Amino acid sequence: MNEQPKSDRPTTRRTFLRNGARIAAMTGLGALAGVVANRSTAEGWVWQIDPQKCLRCGNCATKCVLEQSAVKCVHAFAMCGYCNLCTGYFEPEPNALTTAAENQLCPTGAIQRSFIEDPYYEYKIDEQLCIGCAKCVEGCSRFGNGSLFLQIRHDRCVHCNECAIARTCPGDAFRRVPASQPYLLKTTHAH
Amino acid sequence: MKREFQLASRRKFFSQTAGAMAILGAIALQRGQAAEKAATNPFAYDVSHLQKTDPKLITYEETARWKAPHAEAKRIAIGPEDTLYLCSGNYLTARNRSGDRGLEIALAEPSRCCAVEKDGTIYLGLRDHIEVFDAKGQRKATWDSPGKKSWITGMATTENEVYAADAGNRVILRYDKSGKLVRRIGEKDKERNIPGFIIPSPFFDVEVSRDGLLRVNNPGRHRMELYTADGDFEGSWGSASMGIKGFCGCCNPINLALLPDGRFVTCEKGLPRVKVYRTDGQFESVVAGVESFVANGKACGPSDCTAGGLDAAVDAQGRIYILDLVTGDVRVMKHRA
Ligand code: SF4
Ligand code: SF4
Ligand code: SF4
Repeated sequence: MNEQPKSDRPTTRRTFLRNGARIAAMTGLGALAGVVANRSTAEGWVWQIDPQKCLRCGNCATKCVLEQSAVKCVHAFAMCGYCNLCTGYFEPEPNALTTAAENQLCPTGAIQRSFIEDPYYEYKIDEQLCIGCAKCVEGCSRFGNGSLFLQIRHDRCVHCNECAIARTCPGDAFRRVPASQPYLLKTTHAH
Repeated sequence: MKREFQLASRRKFFSQTAGAMAILGAIALQRGQAAEKAATNPFAYDVSHLQKTDPKLITYEETARWKAPHAEAKRIAIGPEDTLYLCSGNYLTARNRSGDRGLEIALAEPSRCCAVEKDGTIYLGLRDHIEVFDAKGQRKATWDSPGKKSWITGMATTENEVYAADAGNRVILRYDKSGKLVRRIGEKDKERNIPGFIIPSPFFDVEVSRDGLLRVNNPGRHRMELYTADGDFEGSWGSASMGIKGFCGCCNPINLALLPDGRFVTCEKGLPRVKVYRTDGQFESVVAGVESFVANGKACGPSDCTAGGLDAAVDAQGRIYILDLVTGDVRVMKHRA
């Protein structure tokens, strides 16, 4: 049951995935690690969410001390199936697989869907709009590849001594991590 | 541009939009009003209504149930005299209608799928090649592997051909009975208007109807496709939806069977359910819904989307045999009078 076919994706898709991994390694993660290193606590530890433990309870949107939660949805593109029917993007029973508001699951319309090549679509999070509610994370985890997940964004987090969300987290998903490695990212799915 | 992980700049966080502010206002209200109601999730992803099937839609009833003889059950097929052939573990096992065990072939590797002729000849799909056995279980031939990446997950036979669904190469392979590869069917070809198969997980199936056309699931496109034996694309039907009439999740349907009159029996994972569609693709009824496969529904998740799933086979009387890949149960389903 664990064995899987090693099917090739179309060349163009393979190429963009490969490019994606390289760009992420060079920019986003490295840059953010730098940010947190400068802003972290004296002990050099910061709060983070273990995505494997998160139960998608909704508290991350409502319990943070900040007006707009420091928790955001993060997308592991390398794990994503680039599905036409993205269960993190669409309502369970959408009228049509279009970007019309009534078809979207996200309460703030924070997920952008764009066509890549037949039949693949890319989904990006607009972090200005994301409130960290985890609705999309639940949809993707239940019926998709689990490529959407929550992380505390350390360029936003004010590093409370005791994280207000951690106090209520039913999944016990919060833990301290070294400021030099502030993210607990999901790794590539075995597809 | 693709990135492995998408994390926006700090500046972006502080340039808040009106939409986000409106939502934040709503959250503030929620905080005030419902601070004590921590157990309720205003952002719940509610699919509870999909976990229960409208009883009016269920037109089959279970008449018997037994266990697959070995763990890691994969596929079932019907052979002569409605004998059921089960691929489970490193075995192919035959069972009669009442579930009594008959022929069993032990293999060096897991059996994945099979198709059985009227005379009892068995074409058995192993991961990357096909083996042929006679009705007594004697190995008659081992065919060359179609390629390194092959992952054979479905098979069908006709009088002169053997078809294999190769999930690894996303192609239907047409062989003659001697094992000669005659044609590759369904590979993406713009000139022939062939869309290509999208197989995100190793579930790919083929059946041949009495009209001679191949029925093939294209799970990444959430539909069923029809091909001629020469590989011409004749059409498709199906839609992506969690709703009962559609195919749910990232890749469904995963397996199929055909009723004696050509109607389709489809199997899904994620929301495990078995349904019947008319020959024109119109949804007709449910054989067994999500509530019948509780363990199966929990098995399929992001950590292993190859877990879970169902298979179905149909006997000459139209009874539907459902194999639950998680529990190993085989259910015999009869149309309600
Ligand atoms: S509070 Fe915990 S369980 Fe709830 S969404 Fe946040 S990390 Fe997940
Ligand atoms: S559904 Fe919630 S967590 Fe997902 S992008 Fe929208 S606001 Fe963010
Ligand atoms: S530490 Fe404070 S600011 Fe950071 S996520 Fe937790 S509650 Fe929000």
